Amino acid sequence: MTSSATGEKIKRVLMYAFLVIMSFISVFPLYWCFVSAFNTSQEVLGGKLVPGGHLAENIQHLMEQQQVFTALKNSFVNTLLVVVLSLTCCSLAGYGFEIYHDKWKDRVLGILMLSMMVPFVALMVPMFQMFSAMGLLNKYIGFVLPSISTPFLIMLFRSNARAFPKEIIEAARVDGLNEIQIFFRMFVPTMRPTYAAAATITFMNSWNSFLWPRVIMKTNESITMPMLVNNLTTGYIIDYGVVMAGVTICTLPTVIIFFFLQKSFTEAIAGSVK
Amino acid sequence: MKKLLAVLLALTLVLSMSAVAFAAEDGKITIWTWDPNFNIASMKIGADMYHVDHPDVEIEIQEVQSEDIETAVAQAAVAGDLSTLPDIMLCQDNSFQKMVINYPEVYTDITDKYDFEGFGEAKAAYSTVEGRHYGIPFDAGTVVAAYRTDYLAEAGYTVADLTDITWTEFAEKAKEIKEKTGKPVFCTQAGSGDWILIMIQSCGASMFTEEGAVNLKDNEAIKAAITVYADLVKQGIILETNSWDEMIGTLANGSVCGTFNGCWILGSIMATADQSGKWDITNLPSLEGIEGATHYSNNGGSSWAITQGTDVDLALDFMQLYRNVDFYNAILPTTSAIATFAPAKEAPNYTAVNEFMGSPVFATIVEYGMSVPSNITGAYYYDARNAMATAITNYINGADLDSELAQAEDTVNFAMGF
Repeated sequence: MTSSATGEKIKRVLMYAFLVIMSFISVFPLYWCFVSAFNTSQEVLGGKLVPGGHLAENIQHLMEQQQVFTALKNSFVNTLLVVVLSLTCCSLAGYGFEIYHDKWKDRVLGILMLSMMVPFVALMVPMFQMFSAMGLLNKYIGFVLPSISTPFLIMLFRSNARAFPKEIIEAARVDGLNEIQIFFRMFVPTMRPTYAAAATITFMNSWNSFLWPRVIMKTNESITMPMLVNNLTTGYIIDYGVVMAGVTICTLPTVIIFFFLQKSFTEAIAGSVK
Repeated sequence: MKKLLAVLLALTLVLSMSAVAFAAEDGKITIWTWDPNFNIASMKIGADMYHVDHPDVEIEIQEVQSEDIETAVAQAAVAGDLSTLPDIMLCQDNSFQKMVINYPEVYTDITDKYDFEGFGEAKAAYSTVEGRHYGIPFDAGTVVAAYRTDYLAEAGYTVADLTDITWTEFAEKAKEIKEKTGKPVFCTQAGSGDWILIMIQSCGASMFTEEGAVNLKDNEAIKAAITVYADLVKQGIILETNSWDEMIGTLANGSVCGTFNGCWILGSIMATADQSGKWDITNLPSLEGIEGATHYSNNGGSSWAITQGTDVDLALDFMQLYRNVDFYNAILPTTSAIATFAPAKEAPNYTAVNEFMGSPVFATIVEYGMSVPSNITGAYYYDARNAMATAITNYINGADLDSELAQAEDTVNFAMGF
């Protein structure tokens, strides 16, 4: 064996060792969370790493303490509305900024990007006052409205729209399609991976959204899953088995979505960085 | 377009009017509180008891977290619209004065409308501002020192040996207990500052003067408390954990001989079923050489506030429950919420021997609660606590205590705008 082949082998072993360690660090919290949902509070505190037989008990206590189905329903409806509306709105905007490109639109986009720098907490109080005056507290629409248009999604769609061949648009115009038809018939089907990535990001952000719903959702009937999990940790006595059961239920949808869309997600993110 | 705008405006008007009508509805009490196993469960039992004589009154209990209630009060006060608030809301005792001082328009002065006799003086003082009462006391945060009796026996001690002692005596005995059992005697969360506050309140001292000025650098009680605490940490008698969860873990795993904290800590201790019969409580050691030093203090607890602009008479009628011994007796078994209303200690569930602890601990705690000296929390309690916690950590790491406390005082003064 030559020395370069040995060097290659060592490099490869080190790389795999590094990847294994990093994967372990990433996956272990999830594993611990799922396993702990099967254990009692005392076992969780004792660091038990194998599942026990207390899942049903933990879920039963969770149901007794919190309105789990209401929270799940609210989170799903909120998230679905945000995903559909924000993808429609932001992809149209991203497409427009790229295809009907001129220097003024670039400036508008610059201002939009600048708004990413304003922290949400700075907007929270005036937004609450506005939503309260409009009677939008405790309503789905109150949750959805601020998330419909985000600079990040507009930027993602705009970057990916660069790869969309302009000749197709010219050809479609010659064939008699109007601008809206070109967008829906030509652009949307081609950009499927971008939509999948945007859907994944929006789903995760919206599902895990905590601060805004906490500000505007004031009744038990409008509670969302992250708010429910937070409720479990604020008492004098914390049942860690129940908390982990709550966290598991809250985490599962995002894990499932990510597994289904991860291929498109990586493709589109790589595409937008190009 | 004009038509659409008119419709939208009309709709907003109708919605806001219906919201006002909703808030002013007769025979309905809305309550905001947190913790389904404790405050909410207690209120539900209270609502059932109240419904026996008032079946027509609707009582709606909403789960809202403590910080969210404070945010909602601030938002409502700033917007000048109290209709978004409930009739009754719970407030942490340490925040009560801050909230009343900052948003006086929200809280109803109930001094002449509610009988405060029987409530612990220190407890009622938390919700008192300039001699006026704004809160109805609820659960006790009376401090207990809880010990593993089996570990103490291993070292040749009983809980009686650790009762009515000073911190110096405690340090001597704790050293021996640690040597013989190999376990730290107490555990606490590092950098929280709670223990120092417990110690200084046991002397009737505060981080603020009665005039509201910050009082850290020349406060003898604070200096004595920090010196005692740091010494015990350095000797390994007190184990400092990095997080609250880790601290609860040391109790559950039996890796320490005990803890001292608000009596609500017993809930976490009693959750470890395999340790039944191995625990007992007593009072806490007192600080030597400090005027007014006692064995009693407080940490945590909360009180109920009634919002202005609501049906105050109805809310107060409902809140008479908190002067009812039967109510405290009824909530104790399911919630472990311990009263600050002295007559409750005679209730059957209070005088009964607690199976887990092997003594009538709840009556003992109510008794302790009546001897707790009061302190001043003011509007900058948490700023002062955090500044002091930094001073404690730095002192343990070798800094000079006087200059650290002077620095902490400057930090709080800056926060207060001086």
